[in-house]
Amino acid sequence: MYALSWNRFRSALLGGCLVLAACGSSPPQPARVSVAPVDFSGSWELDFSQSDTVNDAYDHIMRDLQRQIRKQQEASQGGVAVGGMAYGTAAGIYALARMAEIVTEPQLLDIKQTEREVTVKREGSFALECDFGPGSTGVVESPFGREACGWLHDQLVYQLVLPDGLRISHRLTVSPDGQRLQVVTQLSTRSVSQPLVVAQVFNRYDPNRTGIHCTQTLSKGRVCTTEKPGQ
Amino acid sequence: MSRLSRLLLCCLAIACLLQSAALRAEQAYLDVGIVVFDPGVPEQDTAGADKIFPNIRRAEAVYLPVELRRVMENSGDWGAVRVMPSASDLVDLTVAARILESNGQRLSLQVTARDATGQAWLDQAYTAAAAEADYPVTGDGDPFRSLYTHLADDLRTHLQALSPKDLERIRLVARMRYAAGLSPEAFAGYLGGGGDAPYTLLRYPAPDDPMFERVERIRKQEYLFIDNVDEQYGRLHDNMAQTYNLWRQYRYEQAAYQAGYEQRAESREDNDRHGSFAAMLRDYSTYRSYRMQQQDVSELAGGFNNEIGPTVVETRGKVFRLSGSLDSRYREWRGILRQIFALESGLPAAPAAPPAGADHSAAQSE
Repeated sequence: MYALSWNRFRSALLGGCLVLAACGSSPPQPARVSVAPVDFSGSWELDFSQSDTVNDAYDHIMRDLQRQIRKQQEASQGGVAVGGMAYGTAAGIYALARMAEIVTEPQLLDIKQTEREVTVKREGSFALECDFGPGSTGVVESPFGREACGWLHDQLVYQLVLPDGLRISHRLTVSPDGQRLQVVTQLSTRSVSQPLVVAQVFNRYDPNRTGIHCTQTLSKGRVCTTEKPGQ
Repeated sequence: MSRLSRLLLCCLAIACLLQSAALRAEQAYLDVGIVVFDPGVPEQDTAGADKIFPNIRRAEAVYLPVELRRVMENSGDWGAVRVMPSASDLVDLTVAARILESNGQRLSLQVTARDATGQAWLDQAYTAAAAEADYPVTGDGDPFRSLYTHLADDLRTHLQALSPKDLERIRLVARMRYAAGLSPEAFAGYLGGGGDAPYTLLRYPAPDDPMFERVERIRKQEYLFIDNVDEQYGRLHDNMAQTYNLWRQYRYEQAAYQAGYEQRAESREDNDRHGSFAAMLRDYSTYRSYRMQQQDVSELAGGFNNEIGPTVVETRGKVFRLSGSLDSRYREWRGILRQIFALESGLPAAPAAPPAGADHSAAQSE
């Protein structure tokens, strides 16, 4: 029963994201809020059975583009027949898919959330940080890229634009019971008309289930103990 | 005159000379109060290489004045040099500073020094840069010792430009300001000026004035309190020195790596075809490395707090109050001294500043 409602929830979200993605390359801008509408905090591990693979996303976008081409061919009626997808487009999609493999690689997320910020630590990659406290613009600019974040209703959205034009966005949504987290990652570039979308599902887990608690210290590095914090 | 009388007269003259030299020497030393530094934490969060970690800045605000105190003490130019939680009329010269920059590579302070007459000795920024050879810090070394030495030298230059009479005047004004602070009714008339105008000594009470003797006794009691506070600042400094120096070293290395990385990334030839996988991968990898470096520094700051935090919390009754509630505790202690003085003298006590969030139990336990 629960799995059914979650699947519906997931399908609705993903459907919404795909519709938004198909509408153009500039998704709606996230809003700045003073209080986080949803609590994402906790440790999350990737649920492979519920998540898309990059292959799925690649197949989906290829099918979609081929369908569009067929429609164009049918509509051209006597015009110059297009034999198939342009090499540049196919290569662009393939490049996006390879990038998606790298971007969606992290399998563990550790989310810390306070009244004014959310930090999504991703295993093996940089953390996604969003400060929505007073005075913060939510934008991090550097010579290497521009990061922006904010809320889109109950979704937390991070957008990254890199100098060569690659745009990466992550939309985080938590299930109504707070046990599952969906991360929809969208990659787009100027050379491909459609974005590549990968939806991943993460389940909440207890990082201390092994009984080991670790703290980062400066002189001793990572210090672990079997004692519970505060003992 | 007999030989014996001449000898006695000679001894007396020598004794007088020695006494006057000793008196002059004693008068030449000014007592210095270094106020815990302003951490200089902006209201808005900072990012990038200039990122400020507020908890570390607050620890630095206590650590750095102790370094300055030790340099000034070692110079032998001053009387007692103490680190104080807030400015006070107790001392002859007050040194205050705001931390403008502190990141392991550079230390920059905006320093003001003002004597008891209100005369500004200096108001300027001091900056020092660390070199690779300064790390790791060994013994009681400090990568920014040159800043403190430069500052102490400037203060000494100003000190040496003053005549013994000037120094004596500063010391007397300090005493009278303290007395007037305790009982304006009895002592305010001894001083002229105030506010923006420099303080001047209009007259001075007789050395055996019983009221002034009481003031001196209260003043000594306040000195005892401040000495205790100063000792605690010193202990905090010594406790955090190892971790703090490691933190500065890591920040230095991180900043050096970051600068090198940015330079390499900017000068890298762009041979990859626009929109190709190679071009996208290059951009993404560069950005990922850049952000991970930045976030590593924040992690290190967290590690610093995990070590220093408990020390500060553990000694909250002693050390953290030095920057926060000790200030109010100090004000409360001064209020008690004022009341004692009022009881003894029969004069109304000067209104004390209300202790903001004062820890009454702590003050009572003193």
